[in-house]
Amino acid sequence: MSDLSLLVQMGFGALLALSVYLPLRCGQLSLATPGFYVIGGYVAALLSTSWSALSGDGAGYPLTSLALELVVAALVAAAVALVLGRPVLQLRGIYLAIATIALVEILRVLNLNLAWSGGAVGIFGIPQPFAGPGGYALATWVLLALVCWLCARLEDMRLGRAMAAIRDDELAARCMGIPSADVKLTAFVISAVIAALTGVLAAHFLNTWNARQGGFDASITTLAFVVFGGSRIWLGPVLGGLVITALPELLRPVGDLRLILFGLVILLGPILFPQGLITPERLARLQQTL
Amino acid sequence: MQVPSAQATAASSLLALEEVSCRFGGLLALDRVSLQVQPGEIFGLIGPNGAGKTTLFNLISGVGRPTAGSIRWSDGAINGLPPDRINRLGIGRTFQNLHLFQRLSCLENVLIGLHHSARAPLLPALLGRRSFRQSQGELRQRALELLELVDLADTARQPAGSLPYGSQRRLEIARALATAPRLLLLDEPAAGMNPIEKEELSALIRRLRSRFDLTVLVIEHHVPLMMSLCDRLAVLNFGRRIALGTPESVRHDPAVIEAYLGVSA
Amino acid sequence: MVHLLQILINGLASGAVYALFALGYTLVFSVLGVINFAQGAMFTIGGYLTYLLIGGAVGANGLLAGWQLPVSLPFWLALALAGAGSALVGLGVEAMAFRPLRQRNAEPLLYLISSLGAGVVLVNLVQLLMGAESYSIPTSTLAALPSALALGGAQIRTVQVLLLLVATLLVALLTLWLEGSRGGKALQAVAEDPVTARLLGIDSGAMIRLAFALSGFLAGVAGGLVGLSVSIAGPYFGIGYGLKGLGVLVLGGLGSVPGAVLGGLIVGLAEALVPSELSGYKDGVAFAILFLVLLLRPQGLLGKPVASKV
Repeated sequence: MSDLSLLVQMGFGALLALSVYLPLRCGQLSLATPGFYVIGGYVAALLSTSWSALSGDGAGYPLTSLALELVVAALVAAAVALVLGRPVLQLRGIYLAIATIALVEILRVLNLNLAWSGGAVGIFGIPQPFAGPGGYALATWVLLALVCWLCARLEDMRLGRAMAAIRDDELAARCMGIPSADVKLTAFVISAVIAALTGVLAAHFLNTWNARQGGFDASITTLAFVVFGGSRIWLGPVLGGLVITALPELLRPVGDLRLILFGLVILLGPILFPQGLITPERLARLQQTL
Repeated sequence: MQVPSAQATAASSLLALEEVSCRFGGLLALDRVSLQVQPGEIFGLIGPNGAGKTTLFNLISGVGRPTAGSIRWSDGAINGLPPDRINRLGIGRTFQNLHLFQRLSCLENVLIGLHHSARAPLLPALLGRRSFRQSQGELRQRALELLELVDLADTARQPAGSLPYGSQRRLEIARALATAPRLLLLDEPAAGMNPIEKEELSALIRRLRSRFDLTVLVIEHHVPLMMSLCDRLAVLNFGRRIALGTPESVRHDPAVIEAYLGVSA
Repeated sequence: MVHLLQILINGLASGAVYALFALGYTLVFSVLGVINFAQGAMFTIGGYLTYLLIGGAVGANGLLAGWQLPVSLPFWLALALAGAGSALVGLGVEAMAFRPLRQRNAEPLLYLISSLGAGVVLVNLVQLLMGAESYSIPTSTLAALPSALALGGAQIRTVQVLLLLVATLLVALLTLWLEGSRGGKALQAVAEDPVTARLLGIDSGAMIRLAFALSGFLAGVAGGLVGLSVSIAGPYFGIGYGLKGLGVLVLGGLGSVPGAVLGGLIVGLAEALVPSELSGYKDGVAFAILFLVLLLRPQGLLGKPVASKV
């Protein structure tokens, strides 16, 4: 894998981590992120391969069409999240986690069997808006920067404070007038949109899309990004996503042992850094020393 | 106390409970409790442990639902509404076993109470425009004033969980005040305080009432404190309201003496 | 024409495997309140150990390529030893991924990740040693038994019947032990209230280790049985079963032993009833049922309702 491709993958990792982070920031362990990632990918794959008007007449796939796909994917994901969010977010803790895993699995089985998603083979020959990984890296990191900025602004806004309150003590938050169901739903929808946008870029980048993209493994790996990096400030999941995505590649020199070492890192991470690598307190201390 | 007619009192009252019962499995936690709270009064709820006082608070604040009876606020029934809706109608509360946002600072705790005053246009907020920063500054100022009121301005930046017990109780009051309530429910606000702190708290509650035009419903075990603080008192025992009236009349009520001393008077 | 009885037995047999899986989860959940994501790996290891102990040879790809046990144990002994081996692995997982967190009173989310890490390590260790190919336990290992039984006009694979019998036996033994023995009652006491249990002189650490060993044993035996009735489809084959077991667990209600059994049987039967032209959807059935049940009854079929305390 080229260095630029790795950079793209790392960006995807960080974006998906932020998608898991947002619901977790209000105490919701939702593992639906890979599902919305898959939805975004299918939106891109279907639009770009079956609607010829989008392909334009130039050599490459037009960026305006990519932008249109991003908008459609965001709308589709937001709509699905709005419909599913109300009933699902009434569940708590591990029940919510497992219900969202169930959603992702149901989606996977449907995609494997339905005709329009290309069945087990999937959809291939997805056109390329960028000539090489450089373009993808740029697009991914621009998206990542935008999402980071959104998350950073959130910390200053009342929505961000309400999310933190719900995570700390939902009952107290509700008694302080915070409509916790709405706040949780908002976080869930934003999370879904981030994952779907990432899926659009990933489908083009991989050139092919199928039901094996995003499954239970992906749910848990993205969760590991967040827990490893830290779940109390947005910088944590970003760092976790970047590092853990790069890890198997960085460990390539150790050959067959690399996945074992990868597992060891995930095993030891929570034990050595229960709060994650980055916490607001550590950041504050870092700012003071600088 | 002489109740002219239930109807007339209920009409002029801020909060009226009518025959409210609450059952948990086989336990009847509240048994047909009725009471009316008048605007501007400090109304006390006393009674032995397990009498149903906190259950009553939970029903009023929407944390639980009554199994029978109705709770009227101003002129509408509120039983069954969720806690956030009830808070928006003007009922704020504190908790007996402290429900602060432990990891957040005192200032943030109060800012969260100000949630509904913090509404700001989305775009300027996202862009961090001057207008947004200004409104946030004002919000912080209001939060600090509330903290000052309960004597916690110095610890504004500290995590709520790190404060001593008495300070945490006062922080809960400041946070509840931030939601701009007309009725404040205080669940054992003096628990864990020393006698001097208790006196100060009593003065604080009176000060807050006149400053914010509040009605206060308070649960407290410390009977002398309640006698001096409250305009009227209701006594609960085993889920029943066994007495209601001025501190003086309650003090001499045989049923109350029996409930507290456990002997037939 | 597939006989209804045949469908029924097949469904019950796979349901029994899910139930064993879910029971393993439930034992750990009831004492610790967390889910052990390494359970799928213990299932995998049970399957591989059974294969090795009956004298199966390692394929061409792992570090152990071509290696074979000099003796070939009878299947039942191999299965029991494989269960014991998985129980040891369960103890190892507890020591590595759970005990350090428990000593720090860590939040439940962290157990999820660390046990997942343990699972990744174990599965990849298996892959390193034995390669990624699939293995099958030949049914000839049960030479004394006929390969199919005729029952009321239906042909039923003996293996399915055995699977069902063994699973039923294990569930019955587990229930008897939990309800009838000192050790079982101590385990339940820890599950109910760890503080009181400690006051009663019960060593909760030992009970937690016991729960891990038992769940490892159940998973290992289930792995061996599935290896016999289907095949061992590579080191990751436990993950799929583990995931479904998780669904079954929540369907039945977390921490409920009868719930785990009921959930397993419902899912197994529902899957068996999927008509063959829709067999592609079979893997979704468990989760569709789970999802619907959770929306109607958030605590699962036999779980206790979750109460919030003020």
